[in-house]
Amino acid sequence: MTDAKLVMNRRSVVAGLGALPVAAALKTPALAQAAGDVPLGLVLPFSGATGAYGPAMKQAAELVVSQVNGAGGILGGRNVRLFIEDSETSATASVAASKKLLEVNKVELVGGFWGSPEALAAKPVILAANKVQMLSCAANAVTEGETKGLIFRLQAKSSQWGPAGAKVMQKIGAKKVTILAQQNPFIVAMVEPFKAEMKKLGGEVMDVVMYNPDQASYRAEVEKAFGPEPDAVFVLPLLTDMVSISKEIFRGGFTSKVVSLGTGADAEGKFLQAVGPEVAEGIYHLQPSPPIDSPSYARFVKQMGAPEGTVFLFAGNAWDQICITALAMEHAKTQEAAVWAKSIREVCNPPGEEVDDIVEALKMVRDGKKINFNGAGCTCDFDEKGDSLNRSFYVQLIKGGKNTPFGVVS
Amino acid sequence: MIAYLVTIAILVCVAALVGLALNLQWGQAGLVNFGVVGFVAIGAYAAALLTPQVGWLPAMIAAGALSAALSAGLALLSIRLEENYLAIVTLGFGEVVRLVILNEGWLTNGALGIPDIPRPFASLGESIGGDAVFIVFALGLLAIVFLALEGMARSPFGRALRAIRDDATVTSALGKNVFLLRVKAFAVGGAVMGVAGALHAYYLTYIDPSQFTPIVTAYAFMAVIAGGRGSNVGLLVGAGSIMALLEGTRFLKDVIPVIDGVQLSALRLGLIGAGIVLLLILRPQGLVPEPKRRAADVLPKAGGGR
Repeated sequence: MTDAKLVMNRRSVVAGLGALPVAAALKTPALAQAAGDVPLGLVLPFSGATGAYGPAMKQAAELVVSQVNGAGGILGGRNVRLFIEDSETSATASVAASKKLLEVNKVELVGGFWGSPEALAAKPVILAANKVQMLSCAANAVTEGETKGLIFRLQAKSSQWGPAGAKVMQKIGAKKVTILAQQNPFIVAMVEPFKAEMKKLGGEVMDVVMYNPDQASYRAEVEKAFGPEPDAVFVLPLLTDMVSISKEIFRGGFTSKVVSLGTGADAEGKFLQAVGPEVAEGIYHLQPSPPIDSPSYARFVKQMGAPEGTVFLFAGNAWDQICITALAMEHAKTQEAAVWAKSIREVCNPPGEEVDDIVEALKMVRDGKKINFNGAGCTCDFDEKGDSLNRSFYVQLIKGGKNTPFGVVS
Repeated sequence: MIAYLVTIAILVCVAALVGLALNLQWGQAGLVNFGVVGFVAIGAYAAALLTPQVGWLPAMIAAGALSAALSAGLALLSIRLEENYLAIVTLGFGEVVRLVILNEGWLTNGALGIPDIPRPFASLGESIGGDAVFIVFALGLLAIVFLALEGMARSPFGRALRAIRDDATVTSALGKNVFLLRVKAFAVGGAVMGVAGALHAYYLTYIDPSQFTPIVTAYAFMAVIAGGRGSNVGLLVGAGSIMALLEGTRFLKDVIPVIDGVQLSALRLGLIGAGIVLLLILRPQGLVPEPKRRAADVLPKAGGGR
């Protein structure tokens, strides 16, 4: 009995000692803020099913922060300080992460949000704190309902992706198509708009085959979608499942054309790396287009250390989230989220002098000029719900182991 | 900071409820249940779908009842199986529930999930802060469940369960209906898991199938193992420690500049794994071991006291 008691005591002492560094950690951010830094937070996926997308977003966000701070910071020489948390591809973990950013690091922005479930679960928490939420996810529901004017989406909505897919089908001359789609909120929401647009363009959707994420095999679903030999199949995947599906299509020797999404069949070059040129040959894929031809985008790709012509989808979103926040704060002359949120459209939407370099844009805002900021992921124009305006989609065809430009649909 | 800790405390309450239920089924009755997450999901969806229609209390009761009924049903089908086979059946059940929820969109809204779930005492929350009200609610619920389960553990029912765990044949020879007792243990555990699911839904106010993956089951087992199998007090300590470890490691990158977020996310899960292994080596009976209850403590004393 006494023995057990002693062990307990020693353990609690050790546990207490172990907690000390944590307690110390809790103090640091508060001190940092007192020194005048402007804290911003991102919730990004580093682990779980979508963990592959987080690191590039982090890199882009850190890049822009170092540029802003290198040029003298914002709000009269204050540095931007970035806090990044892992979403673990989990809605529950994202709520805890957002709460940590809001309450411990006192951030003014909780951005990132690659996945829709994470964004939807964190939304009430961020709105309750009256801070700004910026999204890189597509489910329509996030900007529906109460937003307090504090939610901004840098990504195209699901209901914009669908019709764009139908236009690609028209372009490649596909009339009879089937859909092969993953059950997830981003993708499910684009099926109906796609069907409606196909009907309008005189096409026909013969079958919709849904599959669950993380299946061991996709053979049955691929057979079902390609079996009736449609002109083309609209394959709506994320990266890991597209890798398996494309191999399955290759093995089956199906002749229908494949139109897919950049989220799966490009993923910033990761798809080609994973499957090789033979399997990927002839796959079309579309994604919301970054300003491919602008010098600032070329510079962004170079700074990211990626090969020329890489189409960044999510890293550009993270870059833009930080840029927009810095510009809006500078415009509103305050870090108060409820105030600078109103400045976002002032610095992002036309009219105004077009600018795409963040350092230059900050200077212009300081000089009181009316600017129209264009980002690395989109033109950064927002409607009254906070959704992106003027979304055009960039279509590429994989040929000879490379993504080649096929066209732009809007 | 306080509000963040409140959030963590609420998540601990949910984890502790799930853990308490598993502690009854596995810790005390010796029944392996790898389908924990299925029952939590059923509770969460029942609460989310029913609360707008009938209010939170009936919805929560329904969540517990539905989960208990399914739990008892599953037990009736499978409880005669040996330990390992029961584990497989329950594991399968958990996956089936998730896939049904994901694909039966007419009822559950499928992958899109259910947003804007009304919270209990929402109007009260508006005046004094939503989380403050919710933490009281969650702690109250945890206290009620804890007291009920602790009472059960001390009752003849609890003693019979532990006897079955230690040797089912002997218990059966003593005239106990082992089969019925096991079904009962499963049903009560299922009810508590359902209530935990409801609490989860009320706190997040948004649920979707991706929240109910087998990791929930794994965390419940970690909490039971870390706390001490069979001990309800230990479970509370265990659930708290697991969450402290999970959330505490978030702060490592803020203090140690060499670790960046990408490495940390890989390290965190590794650290938790290493922590559990160390605990099992150093303290296999758990942080607060199951109390040894002797016959002399419950039987009338023959010699008239010490």
